[in-house]
Amino acid sequence: MKPLLSRKSSKKVGDFATVLPALLFLGVFVYYPVVQVVRISFTNWNLINDSYKYVGLKNWIWLFEGSGTKYLLNSLKVTFLYTLGELFVTIIGGMILAVIFNKLAKSFSIMRALVFLPKYIAMSSAAVVFLWILNTDNGILNYFIMKMGGTKVNWLGDKNRALLSILMLTGWRTIGYGMMIYLAAMRGISTNYYEAASIDGASKWTQFSRITLPLLSPTTLFLFVTTFISAMKVFQSVDVLTSGGPYRSTEVIVYMIYKYAMEDFRMDRASTVAVFFFIILLIITATTMKISNRSVNYDV
Amino acid sequence: MTSDSKNTALNEEAMLLNQRAQTRKKMLNVGQYILAILVTLVMFFPLYWMLITSVKSQQEVLRSLPTFWPREWHFENYINVFKRANFSKYYYNTTVMTVGILFSQVITGVLAGYGFSKGIFKGKNFLFVIVLGALMIPLQVTFIPLYIMFADWKLTDTFLGLILPLAVSPYYIFMMRQAFFSVDDSYVEAAKIDGMGRLGIITQVLVPMTKSTLITITLVTFTDGWNSYFWPKIIAKNEVRRVLTVGLVHLRNTFAGLDTMNNHEIMAGAVMAVLPVIILFFIFQKYMLTGYEKTAMK
Repeated sequence: MKPLLSRKSSKKVGDFATVLPALLFLGVFVYYPVVQVVRISFTNWNLINDSYKYVGLKNWIWLFEGSGTKYLLNSLKVTFLYTLGELFVTIIGGMILAVIFNKLAKSFSIMRALVFLPKYIAMSSAAVVFLWILNTDNGILNYFIMKMGGTKVNWLGDKNRALLSILMLTGWRTIGYGMMIYLAAMRGISTNYYEAASIDGASKWTQFSRITLPLLSPTTLFLFVTTFISAMKVFQSVDVLTSGGPYRSTEVIVYMIYKYAMEDFRMDRASTVAVFFFIILLIITATTMKISNRSVNYDV
Repeated sequence: MTSDSKNTALNEEAMLLNQRAQTRKKMLNVGQYILAILVTLVMFFPLYWMLITSVKSQQEVLRSLPTFWPREWHFENYINVFKRANFSKYYYNTTVMTVGILFSQVITGVLAGYGFSKGIFKGKNFLFVIVLGALMIPLQVTFIPLYIMFADWKLTDTFLGLILPLAVSPYYIFMMRQAFFSVDDSYVEAAKIDGMGRLGIITQVLVPMTKSTLITITLVTFTDGWNSYFWPKIIAKNEVRRVLTVGLVHLRNTFAGLDTMNNHEIMAGAVMAVLPVIILFFIFQKYMLTGYEKTAMK
């Protein structure tokens, strides 16, 4: 009797079987929901009602030319400002820390670990700690400020300062990450460059700006791309610290989606904002990948 | 002056210059160390403040002049948190969820990593692009249909509900594929000649040879799972399957306006929520520190 499958093709089936579980999962829990979220954006799906019907572009008109527009614009603005802040802290802050911590004696490596540690602290724990530190009346930060002759600052209740307070928390968690990435890259730069430069009499600053900085540009680009995308998705710090307030001054776009879905049960409107957010993410990803492919090669 | 003494004079001058340069360099070095210590102090302060507050008495926390070292140690704050909120349940839920995510991500990740590196089948590259594409679709976009789907399946407030959307990680697959690529094909061929099956090759040849990558990504998976908040908050709102991260925020919010009064207990809760990860961090420091570097260099 001839075997059902030849040896070679049964091997192929076996190899395919190793990737099948992953593919099935991604199909059901990632790709199918993407199709669904687009579909829901054309319905009047509301968790309070039992049924729904298609309403065409109604939600999209609500978002772009209706009562939703001003909230969308506000969220976009807040998200953009936040993203700029996180980029600044991670890249500029991370680089400064890397310069400070570069080439310290081995016995000081514990300090590097302590600066990096916040990255691993659960955001919810970090956030309740910062709520306590930033507390207006009893918080330790205001205590320090008053000691130095300042006045009490309302960190989280003031709409001009709430976003900055959130950035303090997220910056505390990401700056060490930026530092570690830069340190690893700096270790990869050959010392020959610096030796040659110092023989030529180049100052430390010249060495940094002419050797270190240009050679770090692939790392900077990497941090820019990954931080940009992750900062756009910020949610947790906002949820715990301010719940999007005061006066929507910290209502980032994911928080807006969350609120429509889980608090107002307006799945239709939440999905519409989610689809729009997804399109923005795709555009940003495509653009940044194009830039990075042109100037950097990530392959090992 | 003889040329000899001239030389000595020049030498002395050179030495003096050299010395000056060295002192300047040393001072620069000392400055660098001082800056590094200052930065470390500032960065560590929030964690210090969390720990210190968690063992203070309520009166001490509410003093207008804060104390930087507790006058009395009140470890019972930790026990009180267990009474005030169901932290033992939260621990249990978080552990089961994290272990579940870990198991399924490791198994699917290692298998698919093998298939996409050493395997031979039709459409391999295309299917891998599909896996990578999933990296661009965040939960923040898909959580609405997922929530509806899981509510239909009666999976709200269940372990399955907590685990399933995070059960497969494209990132894990990508990293394992990279690691397995680095293993030379000749090892795989030799094992085949020895009559080893596919699973044997994976578990006895490839996995041992890529152990450090495996440990590193698995640690990242563990911390990501343990610290996850967004999806657990959506799918397991109620007490039965509430996890530590959500439970901690819930605890704080149940104090409502009185949270300042109870910060010693909230901080004790915060410490408990992060303790396992901090312990892992210091045990596996070598891997944890390189974990993100590895992803950066990919």
